[in-house]
Amino acid sequence: MRTIKLTLLVLGLTIIAFAYNADAKDASELMKKSHMAYYYAADDGLSEVNMRLINKRGKERVREFTMLRLDESDGGKQMYYTYFKSPSDVARMTFMVHKTPGGNDARWIYVPSVDLVKPISADDKNSSFVGSDFSYEDVSGRHWTEDNHKLLEESTLNGKEVYVIESVPKEDFNAFHKKLTYIDKETLLPMKEEYFDKDGEMTQIMRLEKVETVDGIPTATVRSMENLKKGSKTIVEFNSIDYNLGLKDNLFTERYLKNPPRKYIR
Amino acid sequence: MRKAITEFSIKKPWIVIAIAVAITAFFAFQFPNIKIDTDPENMLEHDEPARVFHEEAKDIFSLSDFIAVGVVAEGGAFTPGLLNRIYDITAEIEEIDGVIVDDILAPSTVDDIKQGSGGSIIINTLMDEKIETQEEADYIFGRIMENPILKGKLASEDGKAIALFIPIESKDISHRISNEIQVITDKYGGDETYHIAGLPVAENSFGAEMFSQMAYSAPAAMIIIFLLMLMFFKQARILIAPMVVAMMSVIWSMGLLIFTGHTVHIMSSMIPIFLIPIAVLNSIHMISEFHDRYKAYKHKDATIRHTVQELFVPMLFTSLTTVTGFISLALTPIPPVQVFGVFVAFGIATAWFLSLTLNPAIAMLISDKTLRNFGKSDDSKGVLTAMLHGFRDVAYKYNKTIIAVAAAVIVVAVVGLRLIVVNDNPVKWFKTSHPIRQADMAMNSHLAGTYMNYLVIEGDDFDALKNPENLRYVESLQRELEKAEIVGATTGLTDIVKKVRFELFGADPAKKALPDNQNEVAQMLFMFEMSGGNPDDLFKFVNTDYDLGNLWVQLKNGDNMAVASVVERANKYIEDNPPPNGLKFEWAGLPYINIIWQQKMVDGMRGSLLGSFAVVLIMMIFLFKSLRWGLISILPLSITIMAIYSFIGYMGKPYDMPIAVLSSLTLGLSIDFAIHFIQRLRAIHKRVGNFKEAYHEIFEGAGRAISRNVLVIAIGFVPMLFSSLVPYITVGSFFLAIMLVSGMVTMLLLPAISVTFRKTLLPEPEERKSGKKQTAESTATAK
Repeated sequence: MRTIKLTLLVLGLTIIAFAYNADAKDASELMKKSHMAYYYAADDGLSEVNMRLINKRGKERVREFTMLRLDESDGGKQMYYTYFKSPSDVARMTFMVHKTPGGNDARWIYVPSVDLVKPISADDKNSSFVGSDFSYEDVSGRHWTEDNHKLLEESTLNGKEVYVIESVPKEDFNAFHKKLTYIDKETLLPMKEEYFDKDGEMTQIMRLEKVETVDGIPTATVRSMENLKKGSKTIVEFNSIDYNLGLKDNLFTERYLKNPPRKYIR
Repeated sequence: MRKAITEFSIKKPWIVIAIAVAITAFFAFQFPNIKIDTDPENMLEHDEPARVFHEEAKDIFSLSDFIAVGVVAEGGAFTPGLLNRIYDITAEIEEIDGVIVDDILAPSTVDDIKQGSGGSIIINTLMDEKIETQEEADYIFGRIMENPILKGKLASEDGKAIALFIPIESKDISHRISNEIQVITDKYGGDETYHIAGLPVAENSFGAEMFSQMAYSAPAAMIIIFLLMLMFFKQARILIAPMVVAMMSVIWSMGLLIFTGHTVHIMSSMIPIFLIPIAVLNSIHMISEFHDRYKAYKHKDATIRHTVQELFVPMLFTSLTTVTGFISLALTPIPPVQVFGVFVAFGIATAWFLSLTLNPAIAMLISDKTLRNFGKSDDSKGVLTAMLHGFRDVAYKYNKTIIAVAAAVIVVAVVGLRLIVVNDNPVKWFKTSHPIRQADMAMNSHLAGTYMNYLVIEGDDFDALKNPENLRYVESLQRELEKAEIVGATTGLTDIVKKVRFELFGADPAKKALPDNQNEVAQMLFMFEMSGGNPDDLFKFVNTDYDLGNLWVQLKNGDNMAVASVVERANKYIEDNPPPNGLKFEWAGLPYINIIWQQKMVDGMRGSLLGSFAVVLIMMIFLFKSLRWGLISILPLSITIMAIYSFIGYMGKPYDMPIAVLSSLTLGLSIDFAIHFIQRLRAIHKRVGNFKEAYHEIFEGAGRAISRNVLVIAIGFVPMLFSSLVPYITVGSFFLAIMLVSGMVTMLLLPAISVTFRKTLLPEPEERKSGKKQTAESTATAK
């Protein structure tokens, strides 16, 4: 009798453990798929970006730039090239990132007024991207293996079916303590991300304000990031999106920082 | 009318008392609605341009009022142990409700701009985690010294002091937050000392301590006054009346103030302490007269009728003149001073009315049996009487000498008045031994200062603040301001551009300068944001359109005089060196606001004082129906004001807010004795028809009443001299000085003048008939 009880207990625990593990595995898998859909769409891409930085007083600053991206492989290395067009006094500044998932990124900037190419330190991935509410990591993506994921529930968001996934960093991370991601079941795009601090207070909200299908690929064309603590907000619009242009990797070198490729930069 | 009121009070004392108690109860019930406001900014109207601009600047550049926390370690502050303690302290301060966490300046929160690997620049937290070695501590110190934005501000150049700047959501919580910070520093503290300073703390703590001081000072004064009066009159029951009158006047005026929706400001919190002596003054005259006459009349009602008859006119006029002094404050352009003036005036009127009604009513309730021995004590043998007789004889014998001495005092006083220095600093409202003063001294001697002013730069177009020509002008203005000893540091957009450029070019000293073209300025700022610089840090120095700049001018001294000298220096530089491209400059900041309201107050007070002086003179001429007596009557008050204020001038004590406001009290109180003296001297003279007899009599009843008043009020406020708040000490000293000086002048100079000019002023009946000419001659030939 006792043996049966014990066996049942062990069996029960095993099932729970498996269920939990399976669940974690599913959540992690979902995050990976979402990451691919969001950050690795097609093999390369180009877009004209309009970024509005709105402070808590409602004052707006606008930055416009052209952005090129080339993926070495899905989920693998990526290269980004950014050419600033406005404000006019920073026009012709260019910026390049070589991203290595799980490793350290390399970043360079070209400062035309002094004709210098300078590396930019990548120590702090959480630092702001050109003064916006997006961090460098928000732009290029946080690797899904850095967090533990759990599928909290399946729900709806703005009429769309979503998975709600809770992510907790494996190592202490100053940017957030917990994150909730609302993944669209259909497109797998992260429609909303909510960031929480250690006191459980929500600090930031990322939203995909508009999703359009470009060359058959569901693409977020308007994104926003709201910093609840500072009261500031950044809205990014992606226009003239092009996929699979056949970009070459030699384009993402120091030479092109100083001399932008005229073929893509108008 | 007067008679009717007196008769009613005598015949229906219970009704009078019941009505007074009912009204008092109504006003007392207003007290729970009290709204306290200790913000000196409210010394200015809400729409005052300087204040509106200050608020705008705070809004545009997201500036907050802050608490400065100083850590001083004589052996050197940059050790791993101390830096780690500060790290923990900062983390706990971040948890305090009302602290603006994002804007805290501390080693563990500020960004440093430095070179990274491969020629990159990195902007990240100066001390992002706890450290272990002395080398790390030295490195942090070195980085602060290398950074013009942090040097002097975050750490002293001798490495003995570290400062944390804690921005807070509003000034009125700074006292609470500073207490919470104190608890945290007490918990972690080692051998180093922690100081908490800054104008908001001083101002808000002053408000908090002021109310507790008031709760102690006012009752203490009441008790001492009661004991002194008991000593004089030896009959406790009769003293119930003056105490009740004083308390009711305070309750009525404070109750009405609260009822009419006014906030209790630093000024109006002093209403009780001003009202008590004024209210008691009238009663002492009444009781003194009652006391001196009771033995003759033997009946309360008859004595009361006599007392009221004798004192009605002088009491009316002493009250009217004091009301004038205070109501004139309503003409100053400073709202809290206006409220203060009006409600003290209301309190004085209340006290006058209550003295005339409650004093008789309460006296009627005391049985003649209890009063059997009242006034029996032989006053003619007391010390007081002996002293009065001394005054009487000295003033008679040396009358010309006394007049000469008074004239000399006036000359000396006029010189002293010219030495008065107008200055104020809310931090100095605390005694030097107070922790807030200690903190102020310690932090301002080591660091760049705890007083922050802002010089707002207005450009003519967008991006004007990126124009190198404009930036160079701002930079030269910074160097000019830094020449002033009290300017600890100036920080602007210029410093950020220069620092980024310096680090970008591999710490090349030659690049520690502003660039020559606008794009480079813009790109340096872009680099700042690209390299992890917080845009919020940038926008404390410039707005997002780059047409408004903000230069932080950190001062080691918050004295209005010192602040004004810096403003003056900037104005002169701008005048001598016209700025390019139509740049305009305007000041904001709490120290600047303080000099604005001080200026308004000094001008306003001068007007109020002169105005009420003129009104009082006219009243006196009207009262005595004589230009001569009118002019003589204002001598004690003129000499008292001049003596006290010239003493302030000679002592080098700054003329500050409390001292300015006390001029109306001085005016109102120091005329009183003269009114009693002259009015009664003339009345007695009319009665007895003989100068010598009248001269002798005035030193008995009236003289005793005056000297009792001098002693009661002067001594009653002695406890205030031991306050930890300087304005309270000032008020206490003023009561003492006003009473002693105006009492002395009244009891020496007025008799001396009356003796010297007796033939003109108080002619004998036969002289009166013989006309003016002879009077003038006899004056000239008088001994």
